[in-house]
Amino acid sequence: MELLFNILVFPGLLFVLLWALFVFWFSRKVLAYIHKRVGPHYNGMGGSLQTVYDFAKLLGKESITPHNVNPYLFGLIPLLAPTLAMLTLVLLPWSPNLVVVNTQYGVLALVVLIGIEPFLLFLTGFGSNNKYSFLGGIRILTQMISMETSFFMAALAPALLFGTMNLVTIVESANWLTTLILLPGALLFFIAALGILAQPPFNIPDAEQEIVYGFYTEYTGTNYLLLKLAEFTEFLIVFAATVTLFFAGYRGDVFDGFAVLFFKMLVLAVVMITVRASTPRIRLDQMLRFAWTYLVPLSFLNLAWVLIAKVYLLGGS
Amino acid sequence: MQQLQNLIAGFNVSSCEPYKQCWIKAKLTTQDDLISLATALKANGLTSLITVSPTDFPDDNRLELNYFFEDLLTRRNAWIKVDIPRELDACQIPSLTPLFPSVNWHEREAFSTFGVRFIGHPALEDIFISEDFIGKFPFRKGFDWQAHEANLIENMACIVRGFEREHAINDARMGKGSHTTLNWGPTHPASGPLRLRVEVNGEDIISVKPDVGYVWRGLEHLVEGKDFVGALVAIERICFMDNTNAMICYAQAVEEIAGKPITPFASMMRVMLGEIGRVVSHLMGIGGFFNTMGLVTLQMWALDVREYFLDVLEDYSGARIATASIEPGGVRYPLKLALLVTLEAAIAKYEATRSEFYAIFINNPTMQSRATVVGIITPEMVLNNGLCGVVARASGVKTDIRLDEPYAAYDKINMTYMLAEQGSAKNRFEVLFKEVDQSMDILKQAIADLRRGIESGEYRPEKDAMVRIPKKLPDGEAVSRVEWSRGELMMHLVTRKSDETPYRLKIKAPSVNHTMMLETLLAGKTLSDIPLVFGSLYICQGDLDR
Repeated sequence: MELLFNILVFPGLLFVLLWALFVFWFSRKVLAYIHKRVGPHYNGMGGSLQTVYDFAKLLGKESITPHNVNPYLFGLIPLLAPTLAMLTLVLLPWSPNLVVVNTQYGVLALVVLIGIEPFLLFLTGFGSNNKYSFLGGIRILTQMISMETSFFMAALAPALLFGTMNLVTIVESANWLTTLILLPGALLFFIAALGILAQPPFNIPDAEQEIVYGFYTEYTGTNYLLLKLAEFTEFLIVFAATVTLFFAGYRGDVFDGFAVLFFKMLVLAVVMITVRASTPRIRLDQMLRFAWTYLVPLSFLNLAWVLIAKVYLLGGS
Repeated sequence: MQQLQNLIAGFNVSSCEPYKQCWIKAKLTTQDDLISLATALKANGLTSLITVSPTDFPDDNRLELNYFFEDLLTRRNAWIKVDIPRELDACQIPSLTPLFPSVNWHEREAFSTFGVRFIGHPALEDIFISEDFIGKFPFRKGFDWQAHEANLIENMACIVRGFEREHAINDARMGKGSHTTLNWGPTHPASGPLRLRVEVNGEDIISVKPDVGYVWRGLEHLVEGKDFVGALVAIERICFMDNTNAMICYAQAVEEIAGKPITPFASMMRVMLGEIGRVVSHLMGIGGFFNTMGLVTLQMWALDVREYFLDVLEDYSGARIATASIEPGGVRYPLKLALLVTLEAAIAKYEATRSEFYAIFINNPTMQSRATVVGIITPEMVLNNGLCGVVARASGVKTDIRLDEPYAAYDKINMTYMLAEQGSAKNRFEVLFKEVDQSMDILKQAIADLRRGIESGEYRPEKDAMVRIPKKLPDGEAVSRVEWSRGELMMHLVTRKSDETPYRLKIKAPSVNHTMMLETLLAGKTLSDIPLVFGSLYICQGDLDR
């Protein structure tokens, strides 16, 4: 019964849906504020129902399958992508007594499940029979390969520091000093995550001005909605993972709980939106150079720093 | 100037005289001399052939070609006319494209619309006109537009066939390795109504071939069906972004032919309205530049400021975009002093926001890393390719019609050339910003001058707005130039005695030459550079296609 609740309500399906509705509205509002606009306004309190209407609209639209594509590949990935993204939810500790699968290999499973998502998006580009989609697919593959190395390396930092890959143990053993030690790692992790999520300034795979909408180009209606849902689930997971790995997860100064985790995630969302509103997109070759000449060496250095800090600051064990 | 006049007079010319401040107007008796004259002019520094404008005279059985040569550095220009036969078989003249690359598309345009065959043109293909007009030469006087429109279905089918031909070419190239043709436009998020056929190898561009004409409205023909004031409806729609300066250009040509100078008050009003038009356009332009890199924040902020300037236009004319506020004879409405207060509020709004623009966007490191290395235009390219306006000034070429050939009341304004050095995309963006600042300064000078003039009784804002221009003009022709927000806008107006409509109006718009540059600038770059270079050239499809 509890498992069913976990799957359907929290941290499962309903939670993801509510999160997607909320974070879409929230990012629109924050972005509008930075743009000196109003943002969603008319539907519901502060335009809060706007995303509900948008989702309903997308559900009601026809899902067009283009000519000459493999309909199974084209139709399967929008189902696979959100499902796979939601799988990751079971690994994360959401509150002191809610983690669905408490495993020794938490960090490993987390980075693998996050890292597999861009492959699916590559397949959407591959299966769309559209030059723009194909370019978008190639781009996301290139970007993922470049970014994933530092993503994994950065995620290893807390595992090394605390000597475990169990996410609950990591959260429970975090304190102010470890958070400070892990701060460079958190930064690297977040930057690499922006790359993996294809967010500005790394929104190269769906660069609107260059290749229309990249791998999304041919997707409409429900299929598009499902892909978007996968994207928002990825946001949820990456934010939650960042907070869990580097910022003591659900633990707060005054009280522990899901609300603390959620607040920290929102802070990350605001950071992401601010980056989006103030940084132009970089070129593909600039991204490659950045990833391989700066990010990867830095993430190795970060590991060295964590080991040194562990030995000399925490007394090593 | 004297030396230039002597040079031209040395050829077989039937007339050769100075025209306005910086033109020599001459007519060749035979087209055989054209190449040698053009070569001599080029050797003398007149390196930009900005356009060629045919005028059709069926009564005399001749087509008159007008060539406009410019020297951006010393402000010496030459206007050379030559007659050619009107019959389609004999309607030909040596092409000047091999000598002056700047005239390439202009010759193609004259070929498409008038059927002038330019012998020796590297690729004399149709341009601008839609498929159903090919081979019909619609701007010739005898062309029956109504009969053409009657065949609507066949015309549409013709356009569809053209599309299918293109589609077949594209399809044939699919699936052969990583080489393919990518259509950047016309229904593309960043292209506007223009298509670039981009030959790519993966992400690398092999070549770019612009396909233009998606918003060809035949503006130059449309004005021929309207009276001299009604023509404004077409003129101001060259491009919505800078609406007022285009009307100033046209109005000046009409006033010159009518021989009616406008009042000093109306001149100063034109400066004011023209600068508002420039600010409104540049604020769109700077936002559009960052849009090409996927960042819309600057656009939103700039549009926020732009609204205040649109308010001024609305207060003055009742319309925000298509204002029709300047007509031959002056400006359309008298000035109410409250307008100056609204304008001052708009300037204050810009100045309050300016530091944010600079801190976040001009000095943006990501933008600089991308934009300083692409789209580099050298001063030689500017002079040889007929580039103008912001694009020319960003390469360090001192050209600005407001200073070179002052019109309206710009001679009373204290201003300089806004220049940059390297000519990269980033420099063009920088110059746009500098020019907004400059326009604010000019606006302040204009406001002060208007206030002073009205107080001293020199200007009578109620009575001085317009002088009457007769409905019918004498035989005549005029060339009028203004510094439009996008560059030099030139109009060549021909009128005939007792006609109530313009006989021929040729509009030389800056975007044509700027779009021609895309091929050179983008070759060997990557897909990501297309929107950036395209955006930095500040192209408007409205004045590209006309």
